[in-house]
Amino acid sequence: MDSKEILKLEYTALNIRRNILRLIRAGGAGHVGGALSSVEILTALYFNLLNVDPGNPKWPLRDRFVLSAGHKCLVLYATLAKRGFFDASILDTYGDLDSPIPGHPNMHKLPGIETNTGALGHGLSIAGGMALGLRMDKSQSRVYVLMGDGELAEGSNWEAASAASMHKLDNILVFVDRNQLQISGRTVDVMNYEPLDERWRSFGWSVRTIDGHDFEAIIGNAKEMPFEKGKPSIIIADTIKSKGLSFAERKVNYHYWKATPEEMEQAERDLDAIEKKLKEKI
Amino acid sequence: MNELLDPRKTFGEAVIEAAEKNPNVVVLSADSSSGSGLGAFPGRFPGRHFEFGIMEQGVTGFASGLATTGKIPVFAAIAPFVTARPFEMFRNDLGYMNQNVKVVGRCCGLTYDQLGPTHHSIDDVAIIRTIPGVTIINPGDPVTIKKAVHAMISHIGPCYMKIGSPKMPVLYPEDVEFRLGKGIVMRDGRDVALIGTGTVLSKAVAAATLLEKEGISVRLIDMHTLKPLDRELILAAAKEIGKIVTVEEHFIAGGLGSAISEICSQEYPVRIKMIGIGDHYASNGPYEELLGQHGLQPDQIRDTVIKFLST
Repeated sequence: MDSKEILKLEYTALNIRRNILRLIRAGGAGHVGGALSSVEILTALYFNLLNVDPGNPKWPLRDRFVLSAGHKCLVLYATLAKRGFFDASILDTYGDLDSPIPGHPNMHKLPGIETNTGALGHGLSIAGGMALGLRMDKSQSRVYVLMGDGELAEGSNWEAASAASMHKLDNILVFVDRNQLQISGRTVDVMNYEPLDERWRSFGWSVRTIDGHDFEAIIGNAKEMPFEKGKPSIIIADTIKSKGLSFAERKVNYHYWKATPEEMEQAERDLDAIEKKLKEKI
Repeated sequence: MNELLDPRKTFGEAVIEAAEKNPNVVVLSADSSSGSGLGAFPGRFPGRHFEFGIMEQGVTGFASGLATTGKIPVFAAIAPFVTARPFEMFRNDLGYMNQNVKVVGRCCGLTYDQLGPTHHSIDDVAIIRTIPGVTIINPGDPVTIKKAVHAMISHIGPCYMKIGSPKMPVLYPEDVEFRLGKGIVMRDGRDVALIGTGTVLSKAVAAATLLEKEGISVRLIDMHTLKPLDRELILAAAKEIGKIVTVEEHFIAGGLGSAISEICSQEYPVRIKMIGIGDHYASNGPYEELLGQHGLQPDQIRDTVIKFLST
């Protein structure tokens, strides 16, 4: 990828982070840590990898994106708005009665949402069914999934992981947002599923590990799916929880952020600083 | 004597018929197809049968995903394992997502008699009927099982269908009219409305005959669709007869009787007697004897009705 293209994606990611702040300003609080850690993954998906049409969100030939970790919905709303699936003013309704953007996504309320997630450990099975159905139809469409690392403790994921490899679903690519933190603390201390790469490999998946904030790594690897013919692919993306907010990065208590006015001001200054750095690159 | 037929075999044949007509029908198995009367399906439709092994949560999610691509997944397995075990997947991935998936709980009720409460399914209606938009079908004879399968496949939306395991008597002629959400008045009467469903419908039918011999006139209703319930038929029974007895192989809590009470108590209060399983686990043993422990044999139903009418 050339540097111009990457810079453009970095600007997009910054704007998506700004959209996440906009959501928090509207609703006062939200699951911000895992939303911010997966901004680059969502940016890469919706601004490079996914074959989707915001004007025709149900287009049968589209690629599918399943947000298995539904609590990361702030990044999905922020990204879909930026990609043009709906007007960005909808972001200002976060937290309102009957808002189309609830605290976990609802496919019936908003264009571009493929699944109703929120309860963890559901997305991979649903994605597997999509991949199976698309393959039956000889479709070229692919299914992308974002999971959290804390989410992996749900046993249902491992049912889905087995089934996807048993049925040789090589049209599916999972990203695990390995930000290493969950509500109660470090994921390895709460319920250790490491080494993730060996674990997924033993379930029949083709595994790669990358820096989840590096666009070249995300896109370069994702474009090589399937990593092995006949196997589902998974990218374990090492990320920083609450990435971009100086006071919140790598801190467990920002899994769910109830923003104070001071913190919000600091968050805006942090994003301004990122913008300044991007401008210097031009 | 009515002809006896295997409900699972009947079900499997109907699914194959439906799959012949509709290329979107696919079958998912949690090591459960052969036991669900679907042993012939993989050979008949290669590429439309998917085996998953014993993972009902996973299968429910896969079914949801398949439905998003226009397939009509039929997932049949032992009743508690497609309802109680993956309840959250049923609620979120099928109900909340409103996916066109057909879940079939076979060997429902107490039909896994000897295997005990882990394999009994006497709470499935109670839990699944809390899920908005799910149609629940509980046919009471082989003819209506077949019709229910075709109606379920034609209906767009999530469905849960119950079938038993022991051979069932044929209660209807082949041309009986079967419509989802519309109960069938099997005989009319004026003293009591006897409303049965599913595996014990035949017991209610036999009880009605015994009651007639006692000079009691019975309006006998087959409530094969438990959700949406036939409100019109229930309120007509309440208004015209005023005494209702329900018969089900299910907990009294949350089942057919409860659902009917929810309507009558709010719209036209009448006395209702519910025959079913109380607040305890069923025991183990021969199926007919287990039914007898819960007052579900025809002579017991007769006696319960007579007592109810006399108080």
